[in-house]
Amino acid sequence: MPFDALDFYDVDSLLTEDERMVRDMVRDFVDKDVLPEIEHACRDGVFPDEWRVTLGEMGVLGAPLKGYGCPGLSYAAYGVICRELERGDSGLRSFASVQGSLAMYPIWDFGSEDQKNYYLPKMASGEWIGCFGLTEPDYGSNPGDMITKAEDMGDHYLLNGAKMWITNGSIAQLAVVWAKLDGVIRGFIVEKDDEGFSAPEMKGKHSLKASVTSELVFQDCKIPKDRILPGVKGLRGPFSCLNNARYGISWGAIGSAQACFDSAKEYSLSRIQFEHPIASYQLVQNKLSWMLREITKAQLLAYHLSQKKDSGDWIPEHISLAKMNNVDIALEIARVARDIHGANGILDEYPVMRHMANLESVKTYEGTHDIHNLILGRYITGIQAFTRETS
Amino acid sequence: MTIAVLLKQVPDTTAKITVSGGRVDQSSVAKWSTSPYDEYALEYALQLKEAGAGDLVAITCGPDRAAKMLTDAAAVGVDSMLHVVADTTEMDSKQIQSILAAAIEHCGADVVLCGKQAADTNSGSTGPGIASMMGAACVGMVSEVMVEGDSFSALRASSSGNERVSVSRPCLFAFDKASTELRRPNVKGIMMAKRKVIETVSASDLGIDMGESQVIIESHDSPPEKPPGQKFEGADSVQTVVLKLREEANVI
Repeated sequence: MPFDALDFYDVDSLLTEDERMVRDMVRDFVDKDVLPEIEHACRDGVFPDEWRVTLGEMGVLGAPLKGYGCPGLSYAAYGVICRELERGDSGLRSFASVQGSLAMYPIWDFGSEDQKNYYLPKMASGEWIGCFGLTEPDYGSNPGDMITKAEDMGDHYLLNGAKMWITNGSIAQLAVVWAKLDGVIRGFIVEKDDEGFSAPEMKGKHSLKASVTSELVFQDCKIPKDRILPGVKGLRGPFSCLNNARYGISWGAIGSAQACFDSAKEYSLSRIQFEHPIASYQLVQNKLSWMLREITKAQLLAYHLSQKKDSGDWIPEHISLAKMNNVDIALEIARVARDIHGANGILDEYPVMRHMANLESVKTYEGTHDIHNLILGRYITGIQAFTRETS
Repeated sequence: MTIAVLLKQVPDTTAKITVSGGRVDQSSVAKWSTSPYDEYALEYALQLKEAGAGDLVAITCGPDRAAKMLTDAAAVGVDSMLHVVADTTEMDSKQIQSILAAAIEHCGADVVLCGKQAADTNSGSTGPGIASMMGAACVGMVSEVMVEGDSFSALRASSSGNERVSVSRPCLFAFDKASTELRRPNVKGIMMAKRKVIETVSASDLGIDMGESQVIIESHDSPPEKPPGQKFEGADSVQTVVLKLREEANVI
């Protein structure tokens, strides 16, 4: 059966015609190029290089960025791209999120003119892959206390420290690395061949298996002076990147949920038990209607947020709510879909267990579910619960 | 020099077709797509354009909804689009051919690519009929076409295998399934398509008098339900099964 994207309230009719054309383009890529290969990629633990090439050819990398060879699409289009990619696999969407929102965006927003002209065109075309180094082994939700530091050595910077859980790390040509220079967080562009830099891959994941995850290690890593991002100081730099990536995730999770719903619906209609399709039983119908209800709400949330992003009328808390809610319901939908598939649900013949395992990561990365609750808690009460200081 | 590709919007091959009141219920069709053979024609028309054979215009004759198909064609690279807005449901083949031939003349095209038949009506008469009206060489069952100086070389199926045919302008190529699928658009193409304007005309704008339809469609019917399969069990039935496979199914 071809994929039938659940869109109960016809939310996609609110998109512009070119946004729908972008959707159809990415959907076609996922149907023809990604889904036939995804289980092999997961088993082998690789991100197929052909996907990088095609993402570049389609011109979707760094979707909402304008100029410097970037696509210049709306945030709604960027959301739709994330949704369609994640319908294929969260690892694929992660690749695009990291490239566009975490590596290209800081160069685009905080980079020098020379940095923008040099890096952005080849990142938009997919020729160069970027990664983003913020999280450290001991500093995840609390990046402000990071250990990685940079020293000004006169004619260069010296970087020391380690980053962890870095998507695209081992396949990237460049890393945007956040480190403390005289106690202040600054962004640095580190290139693959820089002396003292290595990016060993982390193995053994049960989640995001088609995505490369790495450590970034800096041992007296020499960085030319012109590779510091001049336009930002402090946590605002990495957080503004994360805002864009989290926005994309709030759409992406819907894609995973749609894939799981579609598979559960088809399976329940064809699976016969006690002489009737299991879809005819009230318990199964209750589960399917709950999925439809949550997906529809998530779609409306994501679409409305896209309009706020495009008009500029948004606050980070809006994004926290959408990321937290949409990943939460997608994960629960994946679990219920696995349940509806019975034992078959654990096989890679169906996409549900893969999405379920992926979404466990998505729930944790880019601000954990709990941290987003704390961000909203601070918004409501004015009390910051991370450090127990009022903001 | 201008190349024209003719596109027809048909119910998607996955769409459910219902018949009501003796006619296919068009309002119940959930998804409309470009006829698959026309997509092959479009891909090879784009290749001709890229080889420098001329500008490429996409032409369709159909209701308002068919405009979407022309925008999709613009996204993959056609230079201009002409939409003859008309209700073709009760027209006969000759009327549609005369509209399209006039549209081709309107665009100044003398090389035409189209599908060998549409996925809905499957009549297969459009290409040859237009070629006849244009006084153009008609090559059918084409799976590839290339420009060679002033002429065109096409590969087509023949009774003894494939044959290569060379023709000069004016000419028309009716496409069978080809080896290269229609390319996927990219963001740049989609943004460019947004800026391209579809020229919209009516049959009378083209100055055609189509006359009355020579064909009257009496009614549409859904295909009869397939009879249930036959089931045989046990070694004793082998002879019967073999006989049926040979005599009835003609598969051995």
